[in-house]
Amino acid sequence: MMDILQQLLAGFAIALQPINLFWALVGCLLGTAIGVLPGIGPALTIALLLPVTAQVAPESAFIMFAGILYGALYGGSTTSILLNMPGESGSVMTAIEGNRMARNGRGAAALATSAIGSFVAGTLGTLALTFLAPTIAELAFIFGPEDYFALMILSFTSVAVVMGTSRVRGFTALFFGLALGTIGIDTQTGQSRMTFGTLELLDGISFTVVLVSLFAVGETLYVASRQTRAAGVVYPLKGGAWMTREDWKRSWKPWLRGALIGFPIGSLPAGGTEIPTFLSYTVERRLSEKPEEFGNGAIEGVAGPEAANNAAAAGILVPLLTLGLPSTATAAVLLAAFQNYGLQPGPLLFATNPGLLWGLIASLFVGNVILLILNLPLVGMWVRLLLIPRPYIYGGIVIFALVGVWGLSTSWMDLLLMCGIGLIGYVARVYDFPIAPALIGLILGPQAEIQLRRALAVSQGDWSVLVGTPIAATLLAIAVLVIFLPFLVARFRGAMQESKA
Amino acid sequence: MSSLDQRKAARPWWLGVAVFAMGALWLYGAAGIASTTNYIGLGPAAMVQVAGGGLAILGILLVIQALRGETFAAQEEEGADAAAPPSRSAFLLALAGVAMPLLTMKMLGFPITAMLAFTLVTHAFGSRRTLLDLAIGALIGTFSWYGFELLGIELGPFIPLLR
Repeated sequence: MMDILQQLLAGFAIALQPINLFWALVGCLLGTAIGVLPGIGPALTIALLLPVTAQVAPESAFIMFAGILYGALYGGSTTSILLNMPGESGSVMTAIEGNRMARNGRGAAALATSAIGSFVAGTLGTLALTFLAPTIAELAFIFGPEDYFALMILSFTSVAVVMGTSRVRGFTALFFGLALGTIGIDTQTGQSRMTFGTLELLDGISFTVVLVSLFAVGETLYVASRQTRAAGVVYPLKGGAWMTREDWKRSWKPWLRGALIGFPIGSLPAGGTEIPTFLSYTVERRLSEKPEEFGNGAIEGVAGPEAANNAAAAGILVPLLTLGLPSTATAAVLLAAFQNYGLQPGPLLFATNPGLLWGLIASLFVGNVILLILNLPLVGMWVRLLLIPRPYIYGGIVIFALVGVWGLSTSWMDLLLMCGIGLIGYVARVYDFPIAPALIGLILGPQAEIQLRRALAVSQGDWSVLVGTPIAATLLAIAVLVIFLPFLVARFRGAMQESKA
Repeated sequence: MSSLDQRKAARPWWLGVAVFAMGALWLYGAAGIASTTNYIGLGPAAMVQVAGGGLAILGILLVIQALRGETFAAQEEEGADAAAPPSRSAFLLALAGVAMPLLTMKMLGFPITAMLAFTLVTHAFGSRRTLLDLAIGALIGTFSWYGFELLGIELGPFIPLLR
């Protein structure tokens, strides 16, 4: 306990250095901006900034990324409330009540409860992360290669099942990513795989290229082909009162409950932010003394989901920092960023690079304060970003996608891949395939392969090693269960209804 | 959109075929990987086989799903109307913008390519002020080129042809 506090203090010493405060501010500004703007999210932004980080110390880079991660959540809630346009999937629930409040002239109160709730829950989530992460990291020391392999299999199945609407499509996305991950030189034997005789493919397909193509290019093509003619209506802030005493009274419990729901779910593999925000909304509607207000601008319906959203974002960092396990697209990019610096998140990182990790965790506290200051009084400024005409936003996105892809190694092959994979990203949107499983397959696939081979090498080819430890056996069992869970639940419900009838 | 188109959109059997084809390609590729170093029971081809086999099976499942009439509805995105009839011209203009660098990047360099791509994409989104868009694109392209150069990201010569 004292040890953790001491480490955290050391982390603050790093996060509060002027240069790192500067990067935190840059990250928070960027994050809020991209949260407000359509078509560009935190995963894409961090991916585009990856090459830049070659010039920056890892501590500073991750402090900036943390600002982007949290900032996008704040920005996303602003557009949900004022425009009914949830920029990120986690702010869909906020839009329901928040936009109603804005229409009723209570936009300022909705923005305030969402910003303060985000701050409260973000801080609570970070606090939980502070104390939980080192403990889990300790635990991971006893993980053998077979345990890591099982953990990755669990991550694969849960991501493929939870994301998107259909298991077949989720797994298709996952295997697409796994297949792309096999391209290039096999790290263990030096054999080239699936390169089709092209020199450029020997290094494999860059994660940045895939991410930029699937997100930026796929989204641009999709939105271009299906534009809404009607422009969004911004509900003005004028005349609205800030939070009243009544609002505070109705908000503080949802904030705490949201944090309580968000953090644990966020820290599960494939937890994400959709489920906790949805759950928090449902809980608040059940518990509300005025359930009739839900659907007409109930402040609890903004406070709860917003808090859950930010706490879940802190939760997502738990498996990422302790086990190197990403559960969202943004976490996958952060993992790629660690790898860019030659770092592997996990228990060893807490031992070898405590400055980086604790600096990052401390910066999450700092970032929350910066974001509260940036977002409460300056919300009018952020809304102005929406005045940028849509054609210019997407034109700009394509230019920055080009910077990200061409800047990697000025390779024509990368441009070709950008077109091809961008088209696949378009098709994925048209036919409702989730994108995150592909990214997680791409980044975790090669690692799962390494762990599997390591386990088999140690056991001299005995496959039973994969269920040889209690941890591995349990994790694999859960992984299998996850695949069949939706099926079992449906069966169970059917049986219940039959027995009732 | 005619009803025929709608039925086609609802039953994208070709998608399953494409996924299957990719799986087959990977399985074929795996067969070409020499497994001489296969001393631990798992050679370099194994993962390729798993990925290819998985894609092939999923491709078949997708075809079955499509033929059974499972719906493949478009995703809701900010600023996009999933139910709207897709505009082919806008799509092709945007695609041209993304593909333009393939033709121009090596010869004309980043700033000019960015200008052209920007203008094509803005036109895909309904802008008709071509000269203004070219100017803005050129500005963003040039600033990006200089800015990222300062940050140490090499985006190639300013205009390769002039070198």
